[in-house]
Order: sequence, then structure tokens, then C-alpha cells
Amino acid sequence: MSGANGAGIRVTVDGSPVEVAPGSTVLEAIRAAGGSVPTLCYDERQAPFGACRVCLVAVAGAPGPVPACTTPCREQMQIDTRDDTARRVVRTIVELVLSELPVAPAPHTELARLARELEIGAPRFTGEVHAPRLDDRHPYLVFQHELCISCGRCVRACDEVQGAFALTATGRGFHANVTAGLDAGFRDSTCVSCGACADTCPTDAITETTLLNLAAA
Amino acid sequence: MTQRFDSEVTTVCGYCGVGCRLEAHVRDGRVASISPALDGPSNKGHTCLKGRFAHQFSRSRDRLTEPLIREGDEFRTATWAEAIDRIRAELTRIKATHGPDAIAGLASSRGTNEECYAMSRLMRAAVGTNNIDNCSRVCHSPTSWALRKSLGLSGATGSFDDIEAAQAAIIIGANPTEGHPVVGARIKQATLRGLALVTIDPRRIELSDYAVLHLSPRPGTNAAVMLGLAHVVWRDGLLDHDFIAARTEGFDEVQELIATYAPEQVHEITGVPAADIERAAHVYGEVDRASILWGLGVTEHLYGSEVVRLICNLALMTGKVGRPGAALLPLRGQNNVQGSSDMGALPDTYTAYRSVADEDVAQAFERAWGEPLSREKGYTIPQMFGAAVDGRLKAMYIFGEDVAQSDPNTAHVIKALESLEFLVCQDIFQTETTRYADVVLPASAFLEKDGTFTNAERRFQLVAPAIDPPGNAKPDLEIIQMVSRALGHEMGYADSAAVMDEIAALTPEYAGVSHARLGRRGLQWPVAADGTDSVILYRDQFELPGGRGRFAALPYKQPGDAADQEFPLVLVTGRRLQHYNAGTMTRRTGNLQLVDREWLEIHPDDAERLWIEDGQRVSVRSRVGRIEVEARVTDRIEPGHVFTAFHFPEVRTNLLIGSSADVNTSCPEYKVVAVDVRPMAEQPAFTPAVPEPALI
Repeated sequence: MSGANGAGIRVTVDGSPVEVAPGSTVLEAIRAAGGSVPTLCYDERQAPFGACRVCLVAVAGAPGPVPACTTPCREQMQIDTRDDTARRVVRTIVELVLSELPVAPAPHTELARLARELEIGAPRFTGEVHAPRLDDRHPYLVFQHELCISCGRCVRACDEVQGAFALTATGRGFHANVTAGLDAGFRDSTCVSCGACADTCPTDAITETTLLNLAAA
Repeated sequence: MTQRFDSEVTTVCGYCGVGCRLEAHVRDGRVASISPALDGPSNKGHTCLKGRFAHQFSRSRDRLTEPLIREGDEFRTATWAEAIDRIRAELTRIKATHGPDAIAGLASSRGTNEECYAMSRLMRAAVGTNNIDNCSRVCHSPTSWALRKSLGLSGATGSFDDIEAAQAAIIIGANPTEGHPVVGARIKQATLRGLALVTIDPRRIELSDYAVLHLSPRPGTNAAVMLGLAHVVWRDGLLDHDFIAARTEGFDEVQELIATYAPEQVHEITGVPAADIERAAHVYGEVDRASILWGLGVTEHLYGSEVVRLICNLALMTGKVGRPGAALLPLRGQNNVQGSSDMGALPDTYTAYRSVADEDVAQAFERAWGEPLSREKGYTIPQMFGAAVDGRLKAMYIFGEDVAQSDPNTAHVIKALESLEFLVCQDIFQTETTRYADVVLPASAFLEKDGTFTNAERRFQLVAPAIDPPGNAKPDLEIIQMVSRALGHEMGYADSAAVMDEIAALTPEYAGVSHARLGRRGLQWPVAADGTDSVILYRDQFELPGGRGRFAALPYKQPGDAADQEFPLVLVTGRRLQHYNAGTMTRRTGNLQLVDREWLEIHPDDAERLWIEDGQRVSVRSRVGRIEVEARVTDRIEPGHVFTAFHFPEVRTNLLIGSSADVNTSCPEYKVVAVDVRPMAEQPAFTPAVPEPALI
């Protein structure tokens, strides 16, 4: 497993060589090489999840694009962040995610920034969109369920950062969403109001009351 | 993000001692939102509901925005010039009539290092007395004392990163998921990844559910538990003989002592099953890297300081100190409770715990400040109140502490405040204490000032203002300098960085600290002149003569209070997640919607015996006072014990606490109070059972 000078693994990112520690992911290698690849379900405070497929890259010899966040580096791996197939798939994924939302995500959100980065304009796909559902029973935290894209970041923040285990993924397919407790709302679940979910949410599906009021003002 | 906000600054949380780095986002002169700094060394991109959300207090309508001067029974607003002149006139008069030692000051563990240092300079140089103390007196002074005696320095031996580096850990007398939520979360995550945790507390705390073992000793018997653990470690061959021989002294005496604390004897004293004592000792002793964390459940006892020394014993005899994952980590209560004492806001020491009687040190400060300085120890906080009641102390200057709510034996404190001829309070709100003030100075919250806080890891971190103080309120450093100037002692600091430069110049342990050098990650003291800091202490030697750690052969002694016929239950006090200490800040935020009242936790067996129902109002009476509070029946507490917090002035919990205090540091015995609990009549009276103040 180890490279010539001892512990490291040597890979190339878009042709540039870089050495990373054993166990590093392709995403970590790309960042170590000074490169970048878009992400959506990724948060460095959480274990890689590999759910959104927005970090797809090509790896020489692989049958198709691989998610950078969950793929471990191998010695002499050649990583291509500009692969056409990967870029086309990623763009389509984000377009599909956006197509389910009743409104465009607010400009400051990570999803909106991602759409700008990928130069996604008016949605190509039309169809059913989520109906607005606001839950503002908590003094600080608000659900805007219609903005949930089921990336799982809030659930993992609650589990892996705080350890309150208050949030749960719920529903299937188009109806997939997130809920506190058994749909009890934040206050009546095991939530400890730490706000890690709002902090990581890339769409404002969970946000802070004060920020919502700021946006409305 | 930036387009939503006018400005953003990185600062340090002003609540507990974890020292979370925060990003404050400001819009229209108010804090709109706070998020955790991803690179915060202690919080790593996380924070709790206090740090993240409980900031609206800073723009609460009842913030103090103008100086207040007492006229008869009323306060009137005054100009700064008037207020400062009144302070000058009164302090000058009292000093001329009764001498400088008739005046005392309290620095604040909520304030910055620079403010605490300036406050101690105000008392020592401008007034001429060593009567300066801070609220670490009532929380971790026993820890500070014991760590200095056993190991040399008054601070954690490692960092919170040792939690993840450890294979096993003991938490004794702390409830981190409520008192230090971010560290609590880190511990919980560590247990989910395999950390073998032992919790020791009269209450079954949340982390007990994640522990391999929970011990529930009777309140006040921690010493016996630690001696029992030491006995098993010794008996079962878990000692680190090389470490003991090479790096410690005094083990022989300890060996004789612990021989008499077999688990069966410890069971008699503590109520903890002998098998649990044995298992806990093995969990800690068998692994290579294990740490011990503790809180006020260890210190706020009659022999709290001795228990901290027994904790040190256990680490020394197993060689579990001075390495990654093998640390002693006291969970400091307030944002700057480490720093306020480091900075010399103590009656007996200058910066870095150097004695006021040390001639070289005193002369160095005399040269720097240009004033003669007293070599006599000043009063501790409890001594100040005693001296006020019997007429020796005439004036106090209290900066950022609500002693009438948070200190023990409230009735005595109030009597002391009433006895003073002159009281200055420097605070952000009217508090229970400001009722007795003659002059109230409007001060600044942590979001409104700059300087540094030192967290529980000994880490100096930069504090930056996100917003301006409201109205005519001023940053505390400026206020202290104004008062000092009026008293004829010009401090002449251009800014807080200049104060830190002076501290560094006068203190070898902080020689390399400067605001410019702290950057985003801060520095952990001792900091050498070249800026090298100390993540782990005692890697090679202890900071004691000979470089050896010192064992302490201290037996178990009974607590100052015990249940009896008249007061059959033992009350333990502590904190709740949603609120913070006197609640001055958190009660003015949405946290009040989450928890809007105090309650008393009582075991179902006791509740049934006393005919108390869940949610019923009960009367709680101790030897010194009485309160009324709602009861909640829960089996998280052991039979015979009750628990409540002290966040609400409607329930003056500290009326119940007597004057019993740690034998070495006079830290109050908040954790063992014999009480009588009984149900109230149908119609609850919501008036607090507090003596009416003579004024107002």
C-alpha cells in the first residue's frame, strides 16, 4: 500500500502528482492537490456518505465515474476531475434535485451556490414539486420541509456531531423528507437545540427563526 | 453568506469554559446569527444552544445603557462623569478613614484576561489593597490549589483532544452534556467509537447511558471512591512502578493509606457496590491511555481540594499523565474562569499564581505600575462578606458577578451587601446584587468587546467585538481605566493588546503571548518567548521542586452536612443545558421558552413516601433557608437525594446553602445540603421565600 518514501500513497489529480496518507479518500487527494470538485451531501464534520453523487470523478480503469468522497485512494491512482461523463451526470443530478423544489433555493444556500457553479439556469425538468410545509414550533429552529433534498446531512449532524439522535429520514422517493422524533417537532423530540442540523443544511430546509425573518424582511 | 450580513467576526463563546470559537454574523447592528468556526480547536465546527442561539440578551430592552446613581431609595440615570466622580469621592473617603483594606473588588470570570488583570491592578495599585478575588473561588479554586500542590501548574494537563485519544475515561462530578455541551457531545461520540467510560455521580447523567459503568456514590463521599479505585489499582498490580520511581515522591505513605480502603470498606462509606469499584479501577488501570475529567461535583465540597489531589494520585500511580490520551481535565465552569485566576485576580497571587508575598515578583509589579504594593494577602470572597457584616469592609466594587444569586448562604450575602457603606456594580443588567448598589456602571457583553479568554485547555483565544455596546454602555477595560484614572493611578493602556503585552512582559509563563500571535487557533500556556506553546504538560517532568509529582496521603473525611431526622434528604445543586448560572443572559433569550422554570428532581420512592406528585409544588427547607419549587419525579436520581439548579431568581436555590466550604480554598459546599422536602398546599404561592431587601 505504501509509496516509495514510506507511509504515503501517490496518486495524480488531473495529471499533477500528490502523496496522501493511507486511508485518504479521492476527495481528500483532490483537495490536497489544490483541486476542487463540487459536493452536496458532504460535510467534513461527518463521515463520508456518498449519497448525492455530485462529487463524481473519473478514475483510470474504473468502469464509470466514482464518488470522490467515499472512494479510497490506491497507489498510482489517476484521478480526472474534468471527465465529461462525470460532469454531465452531476449536472443532471443537480437539475433533478432542483426540479422538485417549489422555489429556487435562497442565493446564500449551498445548493444555490452549487447550481451557479454548474451554470444551471432555468430547470429543464418539470413535474410535481413539494408543497410548502412550515414547522416553527421551536423558538430557534424551523423546518421548511418543501426544501428538503434528503441529503441526510442534518440526520448525520444530529447523530455524528451532537449525538442527540433526534432527526430521522422519513418517506420514500418523492416523499422522502426529514423529521424530528416521530414527527413531534424539535421541541418534543430528543433534540437538544444545538443547531448542528441548521448549520449543515445546504438548502435551508432547516434554518434559524431569526434568519428566516431576516429573509422575509 | 456575506450578502445577508453587514459584517462577520470570529470570536470566542462567552458561556462555559469549553471555549468554542464562534462566527458572529451581524446585520443592522445586531447579531443575526452565530455559527461555529470550523477550525475551532475545542469545538471543531460545533456549538451548543447557548453559544449558537442565546445571544439576543445583548439587545434586550432592559440592558443597562446609562450609569445609575442611588438617590435615597431610587436610582437615577447619571453621566459617566458624575458616576465616576461619585466612585472617586466615596472610595477616597473610605480609604482615608478606614484604610485601603476596607475596600474590596471582584473581577469577573466572564470578563477578559485583560479586564481581570486591569481590575486586579485597580485594587492593588490604585486602591492599595490585595482584596481582589473572582468567582473561581466558588467553583474550581480547589482544582487550582490541588493541581499546583500535586503537579505544579494550575490547569488541565492536556486538551480536549485527549478525549478522542484516550481508550478509557472517568468522569466524576460533572454532567458535560448539560454543563459543557460541546465537550459532552465529543465524549458521547468517543464512547460510540469505543471509549470505555466510567461515570461517577449521585445522579445517573446522560453520559451514564453511554458508559460501561456508572457509580452512584453518596454525595460527599468522592474521596472514598478515589481511595477505593487506588486500592484496587495497587492490589491488582495495575501500578506503573517505573513512573512512580522516576517521576514521583510520597507513594509509600499513600500505599499505607490505600491499603485500608478495600472495596468492601468503600462500599460501606459510599454505597457503591464493591464489584463496581473493582471494575471501574480495571477499566481505568488496564489500558495505556486513560483520562480523568471532573467538575464542580468534585470541588464544591468541604474536602473538594483533597479529592482533586486523590484524583492526581490515581493518575500518578498509573503513569497516566503527560501523554496524549492520558490527561487530567477539569471542566472549567465559565468562559474565562481559568484566565481570571491566571491573571492574578486573586487575593494572594499575581499573574501565574505567584505569591503577593514574593519580594521579587512584588517589586517587578511595583516597577511596572509605579506604586507601592501590599505584601499581605487580601480577603477571599467569603471573607469579604464576613468582613462586611462585622464592619471591617466598607466598600466593594463588583464587576460582572451576581453574588446575591450565585453565592452560597444568600441571606448572609445580602446582609453583607446591606452593611457596606458603598457598593459599585459594573454589569450588563440589573441583577439581584445591583439592588444594593450605590453606583451601577453599564458594561459590555462578550459580543461587544475585545481581548482574550483562556479556556479549560489553558488556551488563550482572541475575543473580537461583533457589535457595539448599547447606549452609553462601555467596554469594561475602558471603565476600569476611567475609575483608576479618577483615583489618581493612570494605567495608560491604548487597547487590550497593550494590556496583554504588559502581562507577557511581567509573567514568564505567558512570555510569548501577544494578540498578534494568537491568530485563529490561540496558544496554550506556558508559552515561551518564541511563541512555542504547551499542548501537553509534564511530558518529562512536573513543575515542582525536583521535577517530581507529589502524592498526597489524605483519608476520607465526612462531608460538612448530612441527612438526619429533621432534614432527611440530601440536596445536590447543578446546571441545566438550557440555562447558564444566574440566568442573567439565558433568561433573556428564547431559551426561556424551552425551559421556563426550575424544578426539583426526586426519586419515585421518596416522592411516594412524602406524598409528592410529579409537577406538584414543594417546600424545600435546609438548616439555613427555605425555597419553593416544582417537583419532578425521576429515577435518574438515587433515593435519598434531590437535585435542582440555580438559574432562576424566583427560586433562590442558594438560600439553602450554608457557609460550609472547602478547607483549603473556601469554595462553598454547594453539593451536599441536608433538606426537608414536603408538598405544598393546593394554592401555590409564587412569591419567593427570600428576605425582602431593605432598599427598593
